Amino acid sequence: MTSNLNLRHAIYWALFAGLLFAMPYLVSKGDLRTMIFALYVGIFAMSWDFLSGRTGYISFGHPFLIGIGAYATAILSYRFDVPVMFSIPLAVIITMVASTMFILPALRIKGSYFALVTLAFMELMYQLVQVIRPDLTGGTRGISGVETITRGAVNGFYLAAFLAFCVALFLWLLTRTRLGAAQSAIGMDEEALKGSGINATKLKLFTFVVSAAVAGLGGAFYVHYLGSIAPRAIFDINFVFTIIVAALLGGAGTITGPLFGAFFLTFLLEYLRPWLPGAERYLIYGGVALVLYMYQPKGMYAIAAKLRAGVMK
Amino acid sequence: MLQIIIQGLLLSGLYALIAVGFTLIFSVGRVLNLAYGAYLMLGGYAFFYVSQTLGMPKLLGVVAAVAVGVIAGLMKHRFIVKPLKGDMVPVEIATLILAVVLQSAVVLMFGDSSKILHSIIPGVVQVGTVSVPYSNVFAMIVSWTVLIALYLFIRKTHLGRAMQAVSMDQKGAAISGVNPDHVNMMVWGISGGLGALGGVFFASYTQLYPAMWVAPLIIAVAVVIVGGIGSIIGTLIVAHIIGFMEVMTTSLIAPELRGVFTMALIIIVLVVSPKGLFGREEIH
Repeated sequence: MTSNLNLRHAIYWALFAGLLFAMPYLVSKGDLRTMIFALYVGIFAMSWDFLSGRTGYISFGHPFLIGIGAYATAILSYRFDVPVMFSIPLAVIITMVASTMFILPALRIKGSYFALVTLAFMELMYQLVQVIRPDLTGGTRGISGVETITRGAVNGFYLAAFLAFCVALFLWLLTRTRLGAAQSAIGMDEEALKGSGINATKLKLFTFVVSAAVAGLGGAFYVHYLGSIAPRAIFDINFVFTIIVAALLGGAGTITGPLFGAFFLTFLLEYLRPWLPGAERYLIYGGVALVLYMYQPKGMYAIAAKLRAGVMK
Repeated sequence: MLQIIIQGLLLSGLYALIAVGFTLIFSVGRVLNLAYGAYLMLGGYAFFYVSQTLGMPKLLGVVAAVAVGVIAGLMKHRFIVKPLKGDMVPVEIATLILAVVLQSAVVLMFGDSSKILHSIIPGVVQVGTVSVPYSNVFAMIVSWTVLIALYLFIRKTHLGRAMQAVSMDQKGAAISGVNPDHVNMMVWGISGGLGALGGVFFASYTQLYPAMWVAPLIIAVAVVIVGGIGSIIGTLIVAHIIGFMEVMTTSLIAPELRGVFTMALIIIVLVVSPKGLFGREEIH
């Protein structure tokens, strides 16, 4: 599979990096802030895609992982004055450990049942965070005044872009290896995978842990960008909705697709703002997502591929 | 003690009603309807609109709510489930999106703030030292009536047997002259109506607010998973387990921990016994 890497891919990635680098010179500060948000959503969507888009184990509880990462670093740095350079890696490790809780049900159940367990995990976390040790988690109100790493939109953008780029490149390279090929086979036929002598359990564990590491990383940096965290902002079904829809509209199973899906969704929401200030936005945004999804469940990636095939003809 | 028993019984009856509509779809249509909670929201708001904004009789409000639920269910079947050919994962995701869309539609029409429903039947009845609102007693009686009627309908009537057949084996049912498509459509309608009816009661129990669909969805999921898909008796038993546990945690431990037990139960049961405690996948 490594032979799949060629010069063309290197050029694409270099162009992508260049575009991200040049972005602050091209767009306004306001758009840049929107992009920061889009990049974080993109990181979460890529994490979701690596787990669910590729293996078919649909997670409705991704905010569970993101929230653990975010809360871990927020508590460490705000309550215990741990420097950010230690608290973030620690948060990622904590998220990876916590993700192994997902693997337990995933060993026995699949499909809808798995989706439901992850949803239950998220709701459980939402309730527990408010009740258990509110002196640490800040209870219902959460924590505000968490140390921010960057000042200003440009720095924030570069940090988010760097993270998103690294995550995308890392996950993409991973899917190009033999490991990645085996991993996507989980989604196709798990029995056949076992039959070909691969340890499916280990492979699943690996997938969950990688996905969790990305989610935890994104969550941790996100909280240090926002400077605050609250249970309802994280463990929220609307947040699940944004992540999943971004991944699906971009193209499930494609890693880079979800990043573009996140940009599309975030900007759709942002550009509707001048015309529709209130709740109408979400109605249109959800409606567009639903229609697009019903029309092409494989996402924009498939639409782009179709268009390209049409042009080539 | 008496208070716990009475509140537990009232709440559990309601939970059983909410869960049974969900289990029907899961069993017959073989898909997880994540927009199920939205029926409750639609039902609650329809009741609010008819009885409190328009000032019509409350009974008419209930009828309107059920009608809205049935229509929503039928439309969901026609425009989402059928085009996606009942594929599990796409339907789950599309219904999740739909739930969010419906929530914002409700915000648009009724605003973000929560509303309090007038009780369906005003007044309270004294049982020993506990005072119980008539509305809640009414909700429990209606829930039980509906559940028993549904049970008899599925067991005794031709249509009910057709539903059983489809839940066991779509192709087999089609061969023996049942049109699975019709049955599916009907079940989506019934499920919508049940959900909306549950929503009227649920909203008068708590409050009417746009995000009210999440909590009952989780409860329905819990009851169905633990009780086993498609089992009406299992639904009834587990609704009582969950209802009583909730009332006991609320009154004996801490109100904030209300749902913790429910989530933990979902996780434990799914891991230990994925088919639920009374599990088969067909309705029975």
